[in-house]
Amino acid sequence: MSRTLDHRPRTRVRATGLGLGIAALLALVSIRLFAPPELGAGLSDRVQDFVTLSVSVVIESLPFVFLGILLSIAVQLFLPEDFLVRRMPRSPALRRVVVSLLGVLLPVCECGNVPLARGLIKRGLSVGESMTFLLAAPILNPVTIITTYQAFGWDDGILVARIAGGFVIANLVGWVYSRHPDPMSLLTRGFAASCAHDATADASSKPRTAARMFLEETGEMLPALFVGSAIAGLIQVAVSRDVLVTLGQNPVLSVFALMLLAFVISICSNVDAFFVLSFGSTFMPGAIVAFLVFGPMIDVKMLALLRTTFTARTLVQLTAIVALASAAIGLGVNLVA
Amino acid sequence: MWPRLIQRWKGIALTLVGVVATLWLTLTGQLALYIHPRYFVFTAIMSVIGGLLALVALALAPDRDAEDHEHGSGHDEHANHDPSADAAAHPHRTRLTARRRRLGATGAVVSGTIVVGAVLALLVLPPAALTAQTAVDRDIDRTTADLAGDAPSLAGADLGSFTIKDWALLLRQSESPSAFSGQEVELTGFIAPAPGDPDDAFTIARFTVTCCAVDAQPIGITVHLPGWRERFAVDDWVIATGAFGGDPAGGEGAVLVPQSVEPTSQPEQPYVF
Repeated sequence: MSRTLDHRPRTRVRATGLGLGIAALLALVSIRLFAPPELGAGLSDRVQDFVTLSVSVVIESLPFVFLGILLSIAVQLFLPEDFLVRRMPRSPALRRVVVSLLGVLLPVCECGNVPLARGLIKRGLSVGESMTFLLAAPILNPVTIITTYQAFGWDDGILVARIAGGFVIANLVGWVYSRHPDPMSLLTRGFAASCAHDATADASSKPRTAARMFLEETGEMLPALFVGSAIAGLIQVAVSRDVLVTLGQNPVLSVFALMLLAFVISICSNVDAFFVLSFGSTFMPGAIVAFLVFGPMIDVKMLALLRTTFTARTLVQLTAIVALASAAIGLGVNLVA
Repeated sequence: MWPRLIQRWKGIALTLVGVVATLWLTLTGQLALYIHPRYFVFTAIMSVIGGLLALVALALAPDRDAEDHEHGSGHDEHANHDPSADAAAHPHRTRLTARRRRLGATGAVVSGTIVVGAVLALLVLPPAALTAQTAVDRDIDRTTADLAGDAPSLAGADLGSFTIKDWALLLRQSESPSAFSGQEVELTGFIAPAPGDPDDAFTIARFTVTCCAVDAQPIGITVHLPGWRERFAVDDWVIATGAFGGDPAGGEGAVLVPQSVEPTSQPEQPYVF
């Protein structure tokens, strides 16, 4: 294909695209400005709260997703292809240890980690290592550690159990999937194919490539985020909190109850410690630890985001492994406490 | 044509919806209906960046045909050769192409629904705080007790600066209901039914938020006001002025015995932090 031939139409698209974008922006602003305020009055309280809860998850997570996409684009555009591979230890186990500490350098919330992990896979990280990163980074990062310390101090070993638990589970999962005979089959077909052709290998300029990456990543991430938020909001209005709290005093059930709450509430790992602090008087310490370990790794919103990259079958296995391991850690803490 | 356009630009469409909604909430001072103020600056900055990037993507991203020619294709979504030429060259592929088209159309309907839903939820419906229904679902009484450990210290404190949250937690934490008897306060909150839903008392309540509205936990103080239903409805915002005292109805714990309860409008920051 001659590049001169397709040059002209692409230049024409630029102005049209920008014009359409600004027109769309103005249309959306007008909808917001002129939507009649009494529209919400007809909604029942539950429907209204479902909307409020879902919107709050979107507004909270969206900036982190943008940040994750930006970092992912930066990694793919500016990190030389073999940079990571060359600098990391050769032993797979040590590599996973290093990968699980990457979150220290990149303290973004877990929803930002998904686009970033996609960028890292395209830049040479194996599928198993990407899982280690995804699971470890939300817990082993300075912001999470500091807020957990502020909330719990050294009480009941909650902080230590959280850090150690996150590290162990992330490395365990990375090890399990490193033994998979065909790791690419763990990825969705669309994402595996986009890994096969290197997005940055074409002759386009960097801004153009970055623009296409932003287009593709938002196309994958945002529908998942919106659907995940709606499901999180829906479960919140549909499932009574009473049921969970009644289970709080049982050493075994309390662990599963708070894991279920973590799964449903999809709260950001940087602040989840403050949230669960209020359950400290009702729930046993092991349950709190299970919440703090399981929640950042797996929840409704994360599963929706992860589904852009991993097959449903992989996510079921991943959820089962992480849930069992978190429960084991939680029950262990309850035994000691 | 349409399915392809929707599938290609859904992310940018959702970006613009999210960015317009967030920036409008920021500019009109309503962001606190959804997230904790500590995120305001970060959220606003990332929204501006996200909006600019969406416009850049619209301006610079090559159209899909150009992209397919550039890369060849292995990507499912990128495989949109001319179907008639495809069918002629490989008749056995005709069924596959038709199936792919149907899948593409279904995908576009799903994506279109998500975009329309996002516009409705974020741009058409007016922003709203959580209602008393969620406060009841989350059990005001229990969450106030759970949070009591966070009550402020009384040593050297200026009691006049205490918020409704501070008082609710202090009352719950204190072992003796009479510890704050006679303490005059003015509390602003919304009306939620008191435990047992009696006619002579309601709970004046607020939500406290850690991160975003999803984790909102209701806190509240019982207000003794016989016949309150004649003047107010659940979810109404009120200012209650009065002093704490024992429950005239004989219940355990301190309640607010108001001198006056007046209606007010929902404050700009309905949640307490």
